[in-house]
Amino acid sequence: MPQGAVAATPGLQSFIKSLKSTPVEPSIEHLISLLKRRQIRSSRPCAIATAALLLRVVGEVRGRDAGKLLRRIREVGKRLTAAQPREVVVGNIVRRVLGLVREVTEDNADTDTNANSEMSHSFHAQHDSLHRPQLSSSISTFSPLKNAVTEPLDTNLHQSDISESAEPAKRPSLQTSHTSYAQSTPMIGSLFGLFSHPDTPSTASTPTGFQSPAGKDSSITALNLDRLADLSTSKVDLKAEVLDGIRELQDELEQSDDLIAANALDHIHSNEIILTHTASTTVQKFLLAAARKRKFTVVHAEAYPNDHTATHATVLTGKKRYDENDDAEDQWKPLTAAGITVVLIPDSHVFAIMSRVNKVILATHTVLANGGLVAAAGAHMIAKAAKVHQTPVVVVSGVYKLSPVYPFDVDELIEYGDAGNIVPYEDGDFVDKVDVDNPLYDYVPADLVDLYITNLGGHAPSYLYRIVADHYRAEDITL
Amino acid sequence: MPPKAKKGPSDKAKGGEDEREDPLQAVILADPFETRFSPLTLERPRCLLPLANTPLIEYTFEFLANAGVEEVFVYCGAHREQVEEYIKASKWSAVSSPFSKLELIRSTSHSIGDAMRDLDARGLLVGDFLMVYGDVVSNLPLESALAMHRARRAKDKNAIMTMVLREAGTHHRTKAQGISPIFVIDPTKDRCLHFEQMPNKEQTHYLSIDPELLSDNQELEIRQDLIDCGIDICTPDVLALWSDNFDFQAPRKGFLHSVLKDYELNGKTIHTHIVTDHYAARVRNLHAYNSVSKDILSRWAYPLCPDSNLLQGQSYRLQKGNIYKEEGVVLARDCVIRPKTVIGRGTSIGEGSIISNSIIGRNCYIGRDVKIEGAYIWDYATIGDGCDVKQAIIADEAAIGNKCTVEPGAVISYGVKIGQGMTIRGDRRITRAKRRKEDGEDIITGEPNIAIVGEKGDGFEYQDPESEDEDEVVDGLVPGGPLYTMANLSLSVESISTLNSDIEDDEDDYHPQRSAAGSFVSIGSTDSHASEHAANFDHDAAASIYDSLVEGHESANVQLELTSLRMSTNASEHQVRRAVVVAFVKRIAQLMKAGTSVRDAVAQVFGQHKELLDRTMFDKDLSGKVDQVDFMLLLQADLARKENGDIILLSAATKLVEMDVIEEEGMQQWWADVKSCEAEEMKRVREKTQQLIDFLEQSSEEESSEEEDEDEDEEDDSE
Repeated sequence: MPQGAVAATPGLQSFIKSLKSTPVEPSIEHLISLLKRRQIRSSRPCAIATAALLLRVVGEVRGRDAGKLLRRIREVGKRLTAAQPREVVVGNIVRRVLGLVREVTEDNADTDTNANSEMSHSFHAQHDSLHRPQLSSSISTFSPLKNAVTEPLDTNLHQSDISESAEPAKRPSLQTSHTSYAQSTPMIGSLFGLFSHPDTPSTASTPTGFQSPAGKDSSITALNLDRLADLSTSKVDLKAEVLDGIRELQDELEQSDDLIAANALDHIHSNEIILTHTASTTVQKFLLAAARKRKFTVVHAEAYPNDHTATHATVLTGKKRYDENDDAEDQWKPLTAAGITVVLIPDSHVFAIMSRVNKVILATHTVLANGGLVAAAGAHMIAKAAKVHQTPVVVVSGVYKLSPVYPFDVDELIEYGDAGNIVPYEDGDFVDKVDVDNPLYDYVPADLVDLYITNLGGHAPSYLYRIVADHYRAEDITL
Repeated sequence: MPPKAKKGPSDKAKGGEDEREDPLQAVILADPFETRFSPLTLERPRCLLPLANTPLIEYTFEFLANAGVEEVFVYCGAHREQVEEYIKASKWSAVSSPFSKLELIRSTSHSIGDAMRDLDARGLLVGDFLMVYGDVVSNLPLESALAMHRARRAKDKNAIMTMVLREAGTHHRTKAQGISPIFVIDPTKDRCLHFEQMPNKEQTHYLSIDPELLSDNQELEIRQDLIDCGIDICTPDVLALWSDNFDFQAPRKGFLHSVLKDYELNGKTIHTHIVTDHYAARVRNLHAYNSVSKDILSRWAYPLCPDSNLLQGQSYRLQKGNIYKEEGVVLARDCVIRPKTVIGRGTSIGEGSIISNSIIGRNCYIGRDVKIEGAYIWDYATIGDGCDVKQAIIADEAAIGNKCTVEPGAVISYGVKIGQGMTIRGDRRITRAKRRKEDGEDIITGEPNIAIVGEKGDGFEYQDPESEDEDEVVDGLVPGGPLYTMANLSLSVESISTLNSDIEDDEDDYHPQRSAAGSFVSIGSTDSHASEHAANFDHDAAASIYDSLVEGHESANVQLELTSLRMSTNASEHQVRRAVVVAFVKRIAQLMKAGTSVRDAVAQVFGQHKELLDRTMFDKDLSGKVDQVDFMLLLQADLARKENGDIILLSAATKLVEMDVIEEEGMQQWWADVKSCEAEEMKRVREKTQQLIDFLEQSSEEESSEEEDEDEDEEDDSE
């Protein structure tokens, strides 16, 4: 607003700002009402807000009790998802954080095991059975040394916590604790590391065996013995680790677009005709990354009536007009400035032009565990048209949009929006006599998608369940 | 919430110092001081009536929260305690509320005008503020409207108000049906130049516009296609204007109309912000209730839909065809739920029932083979087997027996019971409550009318005290033809009257005179709307004089007050006299009731206030005693309907002559006046005064030079 609108409509920005000054409970309510009022909408803002809120929630939780922490996060998560069940991303973030907590506690249990192992090795086996397979992808900054140094433990406490909060803890483990240490060592940096080395086995599947357990054990125990006396630091650690994890998650949210864009050159080739849809930031960055090296043509379907203004703005300026992230660094140029020909077409022309299109790139609202996706209305039609013409459909999406939810009832996932976008409300006769449905999203079944590109790399739709298993704990899937 | 002021310093400099850092404030008029929802509003305030199973005021709060408002003042009228209780328990007064301040204002206002003046006196509002009703449903973001308002303000201090209006074509269900508001707008400046409310009747399709508007403006838009959603962005000047004008009651018909007319006088401009997208409407009557409900179900007001679950504890889910069901709904296997239906938690619907286009609250029981179409059934209602309900409102805890028919348009209020096999006609409004529930007290229930509610029924037909209102409300739910009368307009003024009804009755008798006086004044002064103000002046002045009489104030003080009141409303001399007469007679009647004799009462009331009386008549030196005649006529008319009016008139007339307030010529001219002996009543009341006149005639014949002495004698004789 040129004249300095004092009362900006509340949204993500105002929420993040207020988060610092408001106590936790009101902040939760605040987010809930923003979600209900749709003032924070679409996946990324929701994810950012949720992560920021959980950071506060975890920071506020007192005590060293992991079970309490889990319960608290779960409770908050339940309320948030109930507020807006169709923003699946909120649930995803909550589940990620829950997984984070579990992982930290289990790691603690590990170190503890190590410490105890010197005294009684009979204990070892028992502990291992308590310990679920390590999900090293979520916490990648662990080095065994640091771990050992900073995590002395109260064994009994954690044991009881785990058994009370996580039933499947009794499941036989596929690997020992040592493997997880060994494995996490090369993965300092980001999650991307894991998948950039396809050789690295998924922890859930194959144990890699022992890597010099003896040597490690000895060093750890030596350190641990010193720390055993000082138990008070443990709660600080649990929290600190989780907080670190959440911050990392926030980083992931921030970087995922760039990581996705890094794959662009592998998928977009010179002189191709690419069809896309909606004003997705992820897609724009993806295309821009490719545009640096290659020349191609983009056909942009305008996503009328819910997203067309943003789409037009994106085509013209490279940026949604009312984009939340107003930082200077986000000032990117439109594709046309990079020398790309962009053709804006109405959605109805998609089928006609599909025969000439080499590749369809779709943005998404949510990716579901079965490989299907929920995307802006019109996506289904595009995907179907692509199928008819055997045009490959590529979906770009951050891992945070990947949900463990299985679409048993597709209708539940589709939100119906303002009918006024389709028919002007002024048309009194129409309003009175005709019912207008305006679905905001489409469900695109998995068989219409050829490839997913996430910040971890490219995957076939049928492979998504593996990523789901890596990121979410089975016990967290129902919040 | 922290201040979200994100404007740069340069903007502030431009916008002027006084505009900075003001949090956006809003005033909710929770009670519009109307009776359009009667009898439903007898027991519950309008803003808590459920619209799609969510209290109306929730939508208003949502709208304000959406607009980024920080401080909210709620003005309660009737049922203040219920509103207070509700708001206290709601999320809006919790810590997490988007409002940094939510204050309930208690006042004894009886009209919006009073509320605004009260608000001005309190000085709560520091900067620009939003004024909305407690029944606004809107998803409009106000950013652009606010920005434009501020821009105009920065340019011109006199742009005091911006009205947000929604465009809605020629025919629209959500538009006001009875009366169309007509806005004359200068599209180049978005300025509203003229406003009128036009009844939708065939014969009155005229709009009178000041010819100057036509010559002064290059372009004019006369628009009737706008939904006035009652969202105004105001500056504090607006409140000051309300205060300056004692008689403004209604914000549109009174305030807006007058301020626009008086542009030359006060130089204030009012602007419009016409939006063509988003939803904005007011639930102003039952008809609007019906259409806004439909809009919400059809998602025109998205995200204000049932499945947004605005209220804590709601769990509505959307199913195909705009069916919203909460968890815990019990449906029989072969009942049919048709599209556009809302069903609340705990409601059970029996076998073979068909529900379409309806909103059903929580914990309702609906029997077998019931047909419900377009009805609004609130919580805990029971509908027996085999009923047929169409386009009716059935309020909380009402029970309808088996095999009843409720025809379109019926309103069945709280707790009413209808016996078996009854047919409720569409124009019936059935209630149990006799009158408005005052704070704290229980509802007074009337005798059931068996003819209407049937055996074992409970409830009777509601009679609106303002009978003109009736056809509007009946028209309410069922979209019928435009049955409205102009009377609905004046309703808001009349229904708020706290004063003795004498004045209103009187008004009718003397109407021709009054309006003549009014138009006379409008020629004499720049003020052209004096006649409109008249009724209000009458109320205020008569009340204030009466109070002074009771409390025994000095004549001079009464005089002062009266003069100031007269000045402020530009009332005519005639009105002043009327007010004085009304108040005096009322006081006399009261004294007599208390046991004082007629003579003493008259002496007490008139005797003390010679000065005041003198100041109401200015024709002592003229031969035609117009003012005195007028005064006497008023007195006569007022007494004509009083008990013992004739006696009072005699002694009052005597006293007046004795005090030399009315001269003998005046008295005789009055006696000779046609108007004083026109009607039967008038004749009767003056019979006794004949003796005074006879005496006066005699004495003036005998010795015309010594009137005063004669007067005294004559008084003794006559009594």
